[in-house]
Amino acid sequence: MRLYYEIGLRSFRRATTYRSAYIAGVLTNAFFGALRSFVYIAIYGAGGSVAGFSMSDAISYSWVTQSLISIGAGWIISRELMQSIRTGDVVTDLARPWNFYGYWLSQSLGERGFNLLLRGSLTYLIGVLYFQAHIPTPAQALSFAVSIALALMLSFAFSFIVNLSAFWLIESSGIMMIANVMLSFFSGFLLPIAFFPPTLAMIARVLPFQGISGLPAQIFLGQLTGTRLAQALLLQLFWCVALVGAGLLLLRAAVRKVVIQGG
Amino acid sequence: MFALYLRLVGARIRAQMQYKVSFWMELLGFGLVTGLEFATIAILYGRFQSIGGWSIAEVALLYGMVAVAFSLAEMFSRGFDAPFERMMQQGTFDTILIRPFGSFFMVLASEFQLMRLGRTAQGLLVLGYALAVLPIAWTPATLLLLPLTILAGTAIYTALIVIGATICFWTIKTPEVINVLTFGGEDATSYPLSIYNRWIRSIFLFVIPIGFANYPTALYLLGRTDPFGLPAWAAWFAPPIAALFCTVALAFWRLGVSKYQSAGS
Repeated sequence: MRLYYEIGLRSFRRATTYRSAYIAGVLTNAFFGALRSFVYIAIYGAGGSVAGFSMSDAISYSWVTQSLISIGAGWIISRELMQSIRTGDVVTDLARPWNFYGYWLSQSLGERGFNLLLRGSLTYLIGVLYFQAHIPTPAQALSFAVSIALALMLSFAFSFIVNLSAFWLIESSGIMMIANVMLSFFSGFLLPIAFFPPTLAMIARVLPFQGISGLPAQIFLGQLTGTRLAQALLLQLFWCVALVGAGLLLLRAAVRKVVIQGG
Repeated sequence: MFALYLRLVGARIRAQMQYKVSFWMELLGFGLVTGLEFATIAILYGRFQSIGGWSIAEVALLYGMVAVAFSLAEMFSRGFDAPFERMMQQGTFDTILIRPFGSFFMVLASEFQLMRLGRTAQGLLVLGYALAVLPIAWTPATLLLLPLTILAGTAIYTALIVIGATICFWTIKTPEVINVLTFGGEDATSYPLSIYNRWIRSIFLFVIPIGFANYPTALYLLGRTDPFGLPAWAAWFAPPIAALFCTVALAFWRLGVSKYQSAGS
């Protein structure tokens, strides 16, 4: 256990060194947050509320999802595993004395943890300062913390499965594209799921992706409380278990069928 | 020269078709991307009736023009994206330099993404809808202005992509900032520029003139006025501004090539 903590810690520390990268990241995310905010301001015009979202809700929602990009809320942010499969380095990784899945999980949590704490909160801060984004109550912040921990796991679990596809596909750009668009749309990253027309909303509700962006964002805004909050967290937990399980099964299949490229 | 370009591009297309499964997956993937991206906008339109005083059809005019211009630019100039970055990282740019044709031409011809036409088709459909629904007075002037602006838009986006690539000469990896300007800019200008604050408007009109790919022309065609005072006849400036921006991009590229120091191999 201590080993994985160390792996995570090192990953966290490594992420702190890319200063220009995360500053650029904050500015990029903030830019898009600003664009979205202006569009919502223009759209809502006089005010009112749509699907339970007032203008200020919609704006805050955009800032939350933008802040979550760095944990993989908008698209898959890590291709390291896929690249290690392409180059064949994965074989040495598999031979190491620690759990392969555990290694990638700790590494991912370390890096994304840092991203969330620094890049995510700085991005959101800009939203608060310039667009009056919602400041959560202690209760909302606490439930958000739980939700985001689950979202981190879920995001990694999905990313792991997609990266692993490199074992079977020669070229992965197609599946990456499909995975990313499914993630960005059905997670509620591009638009709150509440805005979707009924059919699309139904599809979104049976897919795991809402647990990565949409649900945490709604919890942050205080839109889910009481039983609905519990249901949302349980749903996230369910999908975590499901996708981690699927990832482990796929890993076993991959190890059996290793095709090495390069080297 | 043009015949050579066609040959090279043809080879690229045939190469892409070799990996059949991958090609179709990418096509499907990209189809999904454009489809869901459009669904996003359609959903917003469905929920809200107007955006900053512009009706849905009017915003569709803006969206259609940008989508066509940007997708065409992407189709032609993707050589300046990943292939060029790889050349920088792996030091294979040197082989380009010793060829008998200019480096710009070689990088341009190194990639041609047919699948971007999917986006072009979608843009044309949206544009068609807008033109059918909107009461635009069609005179020789307006008939000329629309395609002219779209062509200018394609040139401006291409120039922007080239500028982004040129920065690679110094930084090896394209900075995220360029994606903000290309994709962010395309996204932003799909809505009327009047909804943004002064900074964003100024950047997209006078620094990176992608605003000229659709906004003033839309003002002109719709007979609207810009609340910040931009005159509608500024639409006619789109081609010369595009030409100027392209010249800047090309000059910047030449500068990059002249300063290029190979990583050595």
